[in-house]
Amino acid sequence: MAAFDSVSHLEASGTPGRPGASGTLRGGGSSLSVSSLTAGYDRSPIVHDVSLDVRPGEIVSLVGPNGSGKSTLLKAIVGLVDVMGGRVLLDDADVTGWAPEEIVRAGAGYVPQVDDVFSPLTVRENLEVGGYLLPKGEVAGRIDNVLEVFPQLRRMLTRRAAKLSGGERKMLAMGRVLMLQPALVALDEPTANLAPAVAREVLEGHVRHLADIGTSVLVVEQRARAVLQISDRTYVLGGGRVVMHGSPDVLASSPEFVESFLGGTRA
Amino acid sequence: MSVLVASLAFGVISASVLAIASIGFTLQFAVTNVLNLAYAAVMTASAYVAYEVNQAGVVVWVSALVGAAVGATMSYLLNRVVYTPFQRRKASPITLVIVSLGMTLIIEFGTQAFVGGTNVSYTMANGPTLGVGSFVFTGAELGIVAVAVATMIAVHVLIRYTRLGKAMRAAAANRDLARVCGIRTARVVTVTWILSGAVCGLAGVVFGMNAGSFGATSTDIFVVLILAAVFLGGPGEPYGAMVGALVIGLGTEVSAAFIQPDYKDVIAFVILLVMLVARPTGLLGART
Ligand SMILES: Nc1ncnc2c1ncn2[C@@H]1O[C@H](COP(=O)(O)OP(=O)(O)O)[C@@H](O)[C@H]1O
Ligand SMILES: [Mg+2]
Repeated sequence: MAAFDSVSHLEASGTPGRPGASGTLRGGGSSLSVSSLTAGYDRSPIVHDVSLDVRPGEIVSLVGPNGSGKSTLLKAIVGLVDVMGGRVLLDDADVTGWAPEEIVRAGAGYVPQVDDVFSPLTVRENLEVGGYLLPKGEVAGRIDNVLEVFPQLRRMLTRRAAKLSGGERKMLAMGRVLMLQPALVALDEPTANLAPAVAREVLEGHVRHLADIGTSVLVVEQRARAVLQISDRTYVLGGGRVVMHGSPDVLASSPEFVESFLGGTRA
Repeated sequence: MSVLVASLAFGVISASVLAIASIGFTLQFAVTNVLNLAYAAVMTASAYVAYEVNQAGVVVWVSALVGAAVGATMSYLLNRVVYTPFQRRKASPITLVIVSLGMTLIIEFGTQAFVGGTNVSYTMANGPTLGVGSFVFTGAELGIVAVAVATMIAVHVLIRYTRLGKAMRAAAANRDLARVCGIRTARVVTVTWILSGAVCGLAGVVFGMNAGSFGATSTDIFVVLILAAVFLGGPGEPYGAMVGALVIGLGTEVSAAFIQPDYKDVIAFVILLVMLVARPTGLLGART
């Protein structure tokens, strides 16, 4: 493992600094800095001493086996799980221990792995609730902006979210989070249970788009190979701890990483 | 024929009382996640305070507003002093149901201690009446139906068109997701206790008006009718509660024309049981 401690220094210097590209939705990324975070449920820690950074406009991915604490880490960052130690900084604000609704007000967005939409509400109502913090006059315009990004949703605005297919549902979940134009978005397995073609659209289209408009992205993924292609940096979680991190190139050239996450020798 | 007209008319009135109570109950349950069985005891306590105000010479409908305020205050306190501390200790939902049963007894005995064991009646003016066939609605009965319709419209407007209502539905559907949309759900829950408590207090007064006379334990059976209407419509579904109240209200009163009227409440359960077999999620529940 020690070999990887130096890995982060090998990554491409400077922030990728993507141009603010096209589109009417703009993020304007925040930096996220997590240091020595310990968090879990009912006083028993699941995530131990995790430090990670997301710089403005970066896509940082988080991979690791099932049960390694990826979801718990994201939840701790957005305030849904108790933080028992360490710090979470969003830009200059120390949001450690804040309630999720306050962390969101500070500019973070979060799409959970499961229960990612309001099932009994219609697609339009989901987007409206997503824009809860917007001034009333801006909601309709913002919904239009989101529908430009996810045109599929336009045909189903009055449908209940419970009736959407897996792919449509994920589009809605991501559209919902875009309503507030968060400066940082945490996505928990956005491609889980999606057909490969849809998964590619989500990662290479929509997650990429988030970064293109300047949003900082922290994404948890099972599809290590696919997510590596869009990541600026990747962290590997094992047993609730960061066991490797570095740029995609560096990880892809690590036999250990290839063995565990890219399908062994077939890589 | 006239028997049927009369029982339909009684059904509409019963359904109106039940609808007001059930809408408040289901809204409370949906947003707060507490199946608060003490709701019916709060109804009676509120009805009693309204009775005292009414006896002091205030018109019954104005007293009803006082009843609503009492219901709101009691429900707020019930949550603040009793349910929230239990929830903070991660008490299970079933534990809270048992706690709410205990609170029912405490509130009922409390009410009885203040007012004694005898039944009381509101003083009501006769007001305008309305004849439908051979049946004549009294002014109070017309008022009850009007209040029920007004409550339904108000709740409809609240949950469909207002920011607070959308926040309530979002919190009911998925509390964590509502929070990461920036909704201060703790506040939404508190407001829900107050609003649903006001509806509860209003329902108590209307119940007392319709019953003619009432005592501290008069809603003991009624709470089960509320549960029947709420679960018939799909728990947590305000529109379901409206439909459920109509079905239960009409069902019980119309059946009373054909069976021993003392047993009419049993009909509510027959309807509910048939429903639970045919459509376990309720008439409007979990339409997926
Ligand atoms: N709500 C919860 N309460 C208690 N333990 C939990 C809860 N959610 C997850 N865990 C535990 O935390 C560990 C990590 O889970 P999770 O963060 O979901 O992992 P991953 O997302 O990497 O698959 C698992 O052992 C899991 O059982
Ligand atoms: Mg997970």
